[in-house]
Amino acid sequence: MNFAFTDDQLALAAAVRQVLAAHCPAEAVRNGRSPAWSQLAEIGLFGLLVPQEHDGLGLGLVDAVLPFEETGRAALPGPVAETAVAAPLLLAGDPALGKLAAGSLRVSVRIGDQVYAPDADLADLLIVEREGVPHAVRPEAARLTPQSGVDRTRPLFGVEFRDATRLRTEVAPAVRAVTVAVAAQLVGAARHLLDTTVGYARTRRQFGAPIGSFQAVKHRLAEVAIAVEFAAPLVYAAALAVDRRLPTVDRDVSAAKAAAGEAAELAAGTALQVHGAIGYTGELDLGLWLARVWSLSAAYGGPGLHRSRLRTAILGTPEVRRWP
Amino acid sequence: MDLDFTRAEQDFRAEVRDWLAGHVPGAPLPSMDTREGFEAHREWEHLLAGERLSVVSWPVEYGGRGASLVEWLIFEEEYWAASAPGRVSQNGIFLLAPTLFSHGTAEQRERFLPGMARADDVWAQAWSEPEAGSDLAALTSRAERVEGGWRLHGQKTWSSRASYADWGFGLFRSDPASARHRGLTYFMFPLAGVTVRPIAQLDGEHGFAELFFDGLFVPDDLVLGAAGEGWRIAMATTSSERGLTLRSPGRFLATADRLVRLARSTGADPVLADQVARAWLDAESYRLHTFGTARRLAAGEEIGSASSMGKVFWSELDVRMHALALRLLGERGLLDGGAPDAEEGGRWLDGYLFSLAGPIYAGTNEIQRNIIAERVLGLPR
Ligand SMILES: Cc1cc2nc3c(=O)[nH]c(=O)nc-3n(C[C@H](O)[C@H](O)[C@H](O)COP(=O)(O)OP(=O)(O)OC[C@H]3O[C@@H](n4cnc5c(N)ncnc54)[C@H](O)[C@@H]3O)c2cc1C
Repeated sequence: MNFAFTDDQLALAAAVRQVLAAHCPAEAVRNGRSPAWSQLAEIGLFGLLVPQEHDGLGLGLVDAVLPFEETGRAALPGPVAETAVAAPLLLAGDPALGKLAAGSLRVSVRIGDQVYAPDADLADLLIVEREGVPHAVRPEAARLTPQSGVDRTRPLFGVEFRDATRLRTEVAPAVRAVTVAVAAQLVGAARHLLDTTVGYARTRRQFGAPIGSFQAVKHRLAEVAIAVEFAAPLVYAAALAVDRRLPTVDRDVSAAKAAAGEAAELAAGTALQVHGAIGYTGELDLGLWLARVWSLSAAYGGPGLHRSRLRTAILGTPEVRRWP
Repeated sequence: MDLDFTRAEQDFRAEVRDWLAGHVPGAPLPSMDTREGFEAHREWEHLLAGERLSVVSWPVEYGGRGASLVEWLIFEEEYWAASAPGRVSQNGIFLLAPTLFSHGTAEQRERFLPGMARADDVWAQAWSEPEAGSDLAALTSRAERVEGGWRLHGQKTWSSRASYADWGFGLFRSDPASARHRGLTYFMFPLAGVTVRPIAQLDGEHGFAELFFDGLFVPDDLVLGAAGEGWRIAMATTSSERGLTLRSPGRFLATADRLVRLARSTGADPVLADQVARAWLDAESYRLHTFGTARRLAAGEEIGSASSMGKVFWSELDVRMHALALRLLGERGLLDGGAPDAEEGGRWLDGYLFSLAGPIYAGTNEIQRNIIAERVLGLPR
């Protein structure tokens, strides 16, 4: 029993964090569409799940989960989860995997409970589920309808298409994996919001004292810390369940997504309240993370959908099982 | 990262499960907060100890098996899943023993640990005072220096199981000129020399007691650590109380599983079903989190104030689960063991009343949230 990340896993996450600190500051989140892409490709983020014979690292989702927390912490824009996590599974066996691993194939997807394709206008390839089967669609063959929304740094698109190639892979494993990756991003975004808000509460003064010394503020932030602390293990365990193809995997993925979404939404709401009016402005970067939390929490099925699945999985089966 | 138990861990689980299946009393023991129930629980501890199962993580020489933290967590999962009796010796084995291991002398360990492991000596914790609850450093009970030892004066209260226990441990002000956290000393003392006034709890049983000290003589060899160092020594092991030792995931996993079974049998509307499913997952999350903590502790890391997050989480989860069970049961949920229609002999009601104390003892959850905010997050005092 070793429910802790290995040194290699931690090192990879640290490398991603470093790259993002240098190449994805808040300003790049606000103005760039896919900053840090080539630097992330260099350290192997897009090849993480690609088999070694296609020049990838051949690793598992467990190895990706902390790097994805980092992308969430930085609110990294671009179809990163779709390209690095969904695409390697949907394109399994495809010669395009080499390009994917190198970061020179950007992919957006619309699979599972995802209604719109995120960042589809940036994609070199779209993978769209129809009647349960994934189809590869070239951008020229697709008609994208922008669906503008609250998260301007993760634009959504309706996709219609004529020409498409049926892929022979199954869609469900990719849906599970990308859902966990997004859950990890939500944990990362929540950690960022907590850190930033603690920082603000230490410096902003009212009534002659830092607002962080007021107990009402303290207890709200403690609540966020607890929520994040106990959402993260569900995300890590779901990544393991995906890698091991456990019989409980669907339940575990739903648990991860619901818990991470709710923790991040709590972090977002608390962050805004503790910042006061300055947090409500478009000028402060905080709003970028709020919007990202809202959009990722709804992505690949929101907490409501996953909670309803969890009710069925836990109460509707003869025996609930813990692993192992 | 993995979640796989080793062969040895699986074998250990199987052994514990088999033994418990053959030995856990068929009918629940009477409440340990009655004289009769207390002794029945002591007997049960003797049986456990005979199999070296009462303190599996302790070294062999003191009655344990030298089990790893993970094995101890496995033991706890099996123990509570088997509906085995509550641990009458818990405040000794989980709260005092870690302090004896870290700060006691070899003589003190040899003298007290084996008897504690067998529950020949049951220990009560005596920290709180009428005017020193959350603000423990306000305590005024004092120790007066005399030839060869100390004399204890003052009053302690809310001391769990002290009504029937054999020994106590607590902090006393040994330097009259001192204030707050300084000048406190950690004492062990026989309850035989103390006036004990049992106090009835919400369930009517005498689960805790007030202690009156009227100059009880305590020799120097009953001081734990150095005189004047009591606060530091006591705080060094508070994380045992908040976290993984006193309230490991096992008991909450067992409650969550029972709750799911109850909800299936009573039926649950979507609102309650949602809360049941959440509670089951919260217990699972506490378990996973604790495996992570065990790993960090095994690697020599300190958990420190982060244990406060676990304390808030498990105590509020326990209340939620029991409140949900009562809601599922409706009026029948409020029947006690004396009622013919009570579900499982009133076990959910007993559990509910017990769970309500969780956010109060071991440092109230308000205090834990202060600790999280100030020491984990770094907010100003
Ligand atoms: C079932 C049970 C068993 C117990 N067993 C033992 C035992 O074996 N040994 C022992 O020594 N003690 C024991 N206790 C006592 C327990 O440790 C105390 O109850 C606890 O420390 C709180 O102290 P208090 O009851 O005096 O409450 P108070 O400190 O008076 O607190 C009352 C309320 O005020 C809040 N409050 C206080 N200070 C603050 C603050 N700074 N910020 C925000 N809110 C605050 C508290 O959170 C609480 O809600 C037990 C208690 C219970 C209920």
